Amino acid sequence: MNIKEIKELINLMNENGLVEIEIEKDGMRIRLKKTEAGMEASAGQTIVIEKTRLSPTQTKEEAPESIEKLATKTVEIKAPMVGTFYRAPSPEAPPYAEVGQTIEPGQVICIIEAMKLMNEIKSEIKGKILEILVDNTEPVEFGQPMFLIEPL
Amino acid sequence: MFSKILIANRGEIALRIIRACRELGIRTVAVYSEADRNSLHIRFADEAICIGKAASSNSYLNIPAIISAAEITDVDAIHPGYGFLAENPHFAEICESCQITFIGPTSDNIRLMGDKMAARANMQKTGLPIVPGSISIVKNKEEALKTAKKIGYPVIIKAAAGGGGKGMRIAHNDISLISNLMTAQAEAEASFGNPNVYIEKYIEKPRHIEIQILADKYGHVIHLGERDCSIQRRHQKLLEESPSLAVDNRLRKRLGELAVKGAKTINYIGVGTIEFLLDQYNNFYFMEMNTRIQVEHPVTEMVTGIDLIKEQIRVACGEKLHFQQDDIQIKGVAIECRINAEDFENNFMPCPGKIETLNLPGGPGVRLDTHIYPGYEIPIFYDSLLAKVITYANSRQDAIRIMQRALSEFNIAPIKTTIPFHLRLLENPLFIKGDISTHFVQEMLKDEYKDLSQNE
Repeated sequence: MNIKEIKELINLMNENGLVEIEIEKDGMRIRLKKTEAGMEASAGQTIVIEKTRLSPTQTKEEAPESIEKLATKTVEIKAPMVGTFYRAPSPEAPPYAEVGQTIEPGQVICIIEAMKLMNEIKSEIKGKILEILVDNTEPVEFGQPMFLIEPL
Repeated sequence: MFSKILIANRGEIALRIIRACRELGIRTVAVYSEADRNSLHIRFADEAICIGKAASSNSYLNIPAIISAAEITDVDAIHPGYGFLAENPHFAEICESCQITFIGPTSDNIRLMGDKMAARANMQKTGLPIVPGSISIVKNKEEALKTAKKIGYPVIIKAAAGGGGKGMRIAHNDISLISNLMTAQAEAEASFGNPNVYIEKYIEKPRHIEIQILADKYGHVIHLGERDCSIQRRHQKLLEESPSLAVDNRLRKRLGELAVKGAKTINYIGVGTIEFLLDQYNNFYFMEMNTRIQVEHPVTEMVTGIDLIKEQIRVACGEKLHFQQDDIQIKGVAIECRINAEDFENNFMPCPGKIETLNLPGGPGVRLDTHIYPGYEIPIFYDSLLAKVITYANSRQDAIRIMQRALSEFNIAPIKTTIPFHLRLLENPLFIKGDISTHFVQEMLKDEYKDLSQNE
């Protein structure tokens, strides 16, 4: 990563109103974080660059380029009941939803089994699935976060 | 023995059950509503599952959620505590069909004793005296008048599907009987969805005497003496004691034998309580049977030395009772005061809030069953019971003195509690003499509020 690329990243942050960005590339990880010095300083924005070199055992294959957007709007879909979490209607069937998929309101995203009854859980919002927080066949309690969604 | 039990309850009784389980080497699962996230019993349990929002219907009465929690934690049994689902025959049935042991009697036992009129009829057949009254539901005012004439005034009208003092009306003559009949029916409909009422002779100045029984799955039933629960306000018990001053050895033996006989006849399993009314002439009458562990079980535990929760778990697991009736000795006197978050000087108005300062009573002869801790936020969604203070001594006088001392040490600030009420009660000369009945609190409060208003 060179200075030109870092400058491009900073522009990317400013254009999109991002506060923090972390990038892994070629075995190196960079985190850029915006802090405001004070209310009166109009151009008082400092950028802290933390560079950490990952250990050599982390090969290029294991560190694909990925950008994690932190501190932007994310919403958790929580379990509305106690039971066992299933990602698909049956063991052979494909999962209802995957990471990266966009879901619509009313779309079934998982099943929670309670007392031998399969309950289809539907999304109430439109958004992109950022992360699935529960493994298939894991038990969930009431209010436990299951999906991390970026609302669209 | 069970390896894991789920406790389908909250507050002090959940903690009580967890303690018994720990001593028996049983792992525990607590279930809780969102409002009870910071409850003490969760921290004492081995596992805890959130089952729903604050309202009881979403959580502690939510059968699918509780059964689901039991399934995912793979428990052997569920202990329902008291209140909530403890006397719900439907819940007991579901546990049975899911192959989870319900720690309590069978669903048939619960159903039978839950129908107050059927319970009366049943117990009468086994030889227990019941209050003279209508044989069945009173359908109209002609029947009501006929019944009242037969048994003699005063009479009390009661809801057939009821309890807790709702749908109850007292009548001293024909005119008040007719007007109260309609009011009672309306209240019964509103409270229980069933307007059916029956009529009984009204016993004046009765004592509420209840017998504790314990039954295993092999037909062995014993009794553990009586509790006097006459100190009540609006049919809610405030103070209980064992033994009762009004019950001598002969009467205890008689009541105990009848209670055991009644339980045996219905093939009862587990702990249960048979309630009687005792009048001034030493006549007693069967009122109802409670098919659960009761709030006031500690006073029986103190005078008999038997841990009722452990015994409940043991018999549920199929163990035989390891004592006989002759092994049960009643020694000493125990008194329990229920400390509620209620403002005694303001008509017992509920007083939720955060406990900022807490000083717990202690010392010889004092037992404290409570779930409160410094910083605890008392939720508004459930009952107002904060703690049970139990004192035990060789004599009733001593037990009273210890209770006075313990309650004066008990500081729960800034919450308004019923501690001041209990302190007044314990220094009341009639109470000290033991001259009490179920009307006692009402009479005492009439005088108290008169004094309070005079001082303003």
